[in-house]
Amino acid sequence: MEPILQFDNVTKNYPNGVHALQGISFTVQEGEFISVIGPSGSGKSTLLRAINALIPISGGAVTLDGQNVAAQHGRALRELRRKVGMIFQNYNLVYSLSVLQNVLHGRLGYMPGPQGVLGLYSEADKRQALDLLEELGLSDFAYNRAADLSGGQKQRIGIARAIMQQPKLLLCDEPIASLDPSSAKTIMDLLRSMTARRNIACIVNLHQLDVALQYSTRIMGLSKGRIVFDGPPARLSDEMIERIYGTSRENLMLGGNGHDRADTVDCA
Amino acid sequence: MTGRIPLIARDLKRLYTGFLITALALFVVCSILTEFNPAVLVANGDAFWEFITQDFLPPALPKASRIPGVLDSVVVTLALALSSTTVAAILAFFVSLFGSEKVSPFPRFAKVVRGFATFLRNIPALVWAFILFSSLGIGTSVGFVALCITSFAFLVRAFVETMEDVSQDCVESLQAVGASFPQRVAQAILPSCLSGFLSWFLYCVEVNIRASTIVGMVGGGGVGLTLFSYIKSFQYDIALSIILLVAVMVIVVDQITNKLRKELLK
Amino acid sequence: MSLQPSPCLQTGEAAAAPQTEVGSCPARPGGRIPVKCRQRNRFIPVFLAGTALLSAASLVYLGIDWGKMLSRVPDIGVVFWDLAHLDFANMDLVFSSLVETISIAVLSLLYSLVLGVVFGMLAARNVFRLPVLSVVTQSFFTFLRAVPTPVWVLLMLVCLGMGPEAGVAGLCVHTTAFFTKSFAQSFESIPDGTIEALEVTGASRLSIFCNAILPAAFSQIVAWAGMRLETNFSECAILGMVGAGGIGYVISNSLQGYDYGTAGVAILLVFAVAYAIERLFVRIKRRFNQ
Repeated sequence: MEPILQFDNVTKNYPNGVHALQGISFTVQEGEFISVIGPSGSGKSTLLRAINALIPISGGAVTLDGQNVAAQHGRALRELRRKVGMIFQNYNLVYSLSVLQNVLHGRLGYMPGPQGVLGLYSEADKRQALDLLEELGLSDFAYNRAADLSGGQKQRIGIARAIMQQPKLLLCDEPIASLDPSSAKTIMDLLRSMTARRNIACIVNLHQLDVALQYSTRIMGLSKGRIVFDGPPARLSDEMIERIYGTSRENLMLGGNGHDRADTVDCA
Repeated sequence: MTGRIPLIARDLKRLYTGFLITALALFVVCSILTEFNPAVLVANGDAFWEFITQDFLPPALPKASRIPGVLDSVVVTLALALSSTTVAAILAFFVSLFGSEKVSPFPRFAKVVRGFATFLRNIPALVWAFILFSSLGIGTSVGFVALCITSFAFLVRAFVETMEDVSQDCVESLQAVGASFPQRVAQAILPSCLSGFLSWFLYCVEVNIRASTIVGMVGGGGVGLTLFSYIKSFQYDIALSIILLVAVMVIVVDQITNKLRKELLK
Repeated sequence: MSLQPSPCLQTGEAAAAPQTEVGSCPARPGGRIPVKCRQRNRFIPVFLAGTALLSAASLVYLGIDWGKMLSRVPDIGVVFWDLAHLDFANMDLVFSSLVETISIAVLSLLYSLVLGVVFGMLAARNVFRLPVLSVVTQSFFTFLRAVPTPVWVLLMLVCLGMGPEAGVAGLCVHTTAFFTKSFAQSFESIPDGTIEALEVTGASRLSIFCNAILPAAFSQIVAWAGMRLETNFSECAILGMVGAGGIGYVISNSLQGYDYGTAGVAILLVFAVAYAIERLFVRIKRRFNQ
């Protein structure tokens, strides 16, 4: 099967001399749910943003749906970008607009020309957005200002906006870092169910190891810009965790310690 | 749900539509009242161009004997702006203490003080200048007083707002300690608001540099008067060099005040 | 706006801890115990002293004859007394020129709002990401802004002849320059994340501007417009004094003709309108900040 995403020996050096990514190679297939874990500054965020060229890479090649990302410019790049939805830690909504308008922003990539500029969305798009809000349990809030909602609700708008793009790949940059535990669980459940139903591959940057273990089909451990682990959650051993985070287990707050890991998952 | 799906809540939509209609109505009414037609500008494009290229360019220097006078007038404008703002700021500081209900020892009169400042502020500086010209005669001193009045009124409002924003809690706590009014001013308001006050002061200097040029044009002296006399006598090429001089003066002052403000708010 | 409070928390330790910083508040054994925090903004006293000195020097330079001024202060009272004797005989003239002045202020504001959004978009660094474009636009409008409005009006009078056209066009120059700068600032204060979020949907830069940046900056634009309408109105009153008609002309003319009653009415009306505009926009701002 043709992979959705392929990294080929990708490197990224920042002008200040930081080597954020060093020789990263991996492929992503349809329907995978990948968690990327690693300490702050290990290159997780750069990795995600290299995929849709928000950050230009220094070497190697990123191939998205059969096209080389670095070779695309202007409209071609925008058309490639709309295949990739993205969800942010700080939601990044336009807070003065209605929830519905924020969700419909996901369609802008399909609307070149004056309709997109003026925000004249088609009735079909609006209907789809309302259905999506219904699915996410937000239909009562469609006409509220985005600013008036709670953190978990804002993140659900973020998900709706990304799904509106009808993406093949969903990137989530610390989607639950600003949320309380119960909203975080809702968001993760939604992410898993919505991507599974639509057969969208999903890459999630996470700080919560227990969440990564519970939800992913595959975990990638990043340390100092290199992939040090890539495999199913079951194979992530304690030694491996220590290698990823560069410190012994006792120094890590993992949301439950290794031996009763299963219990915590059940409790959550 | 029939028909088109709306994008925003109905009352918001009504608000925005109301705004748009008001703006359009205002536009139409005002256009009719003033008989302003933007096409006039386009139609006169040639005249503009001719004026700019023939009368205006290249900028010419005034006669050598006049140059010291021109430079002197720039200094007068700068001096006028700075000194009037300083005097106004000192007065405004004391008055603003009585203009805030939370700080003033006579909270009942706070409204009166603010109302007085509002009255002074809402009459343009140039109108003040004209009133004063007709009572005091023309001259730099009158320009000084006119600038003082408007900057005083502006600063009273700005200072009162700064005090209400910044020092509410600490004033309250000092009140609870039993501090007297002068003690509250010296120990709570000044330390917490001084940098805010000074930042407003700098803003007022910027405004006054422009205002003193304008007041100068109608008789307050300074570079404004020099410029006005060259325009009146159709020596546009010399006027252009003075306009450039004024622009440089304003930009330099803006740069300096920006630097100082950054330093102050550190 | 306020000073950083954190260094002040060390006040208690300051006396006991050995002083490492030179020159701040040395705690001599047996001497006075300092209460001020160690890291103060030492720039403020310097600034105050410098301003005081410069202002004093300016006053000396201006050489204002205070004695003569003070001797004439009673005259101000007389003028105000005369102004207070309102004379409504020329009401129709006063009223029509007031309407004209308001129209000029509103028209120049509306034109400048549109132009300001367009040029502000070009001047903001985060909309098109073309630094050259931003720098060029900004420096051009900085120059326009630095030249006082009456100069523009005077020049427009020369080009267009007497009439409201010159007033509107002249005011537009300064107002557009002002809006360009302030709108660009507002656009640039939109968090990068919001723009990034729309970038990943594949939207074009113009789409991002219209759908995210402009709505997010809308309340600020309203605030700027309100502030500018006040200024425009008072500048409009100025226009008359350089010969462009309107209420300013009535005021300056009647004052020079010793017709204080009419001038009083005109000044009162100018005040009333300026005050009404101020109150109106305080309300609108409150409504938008809800």
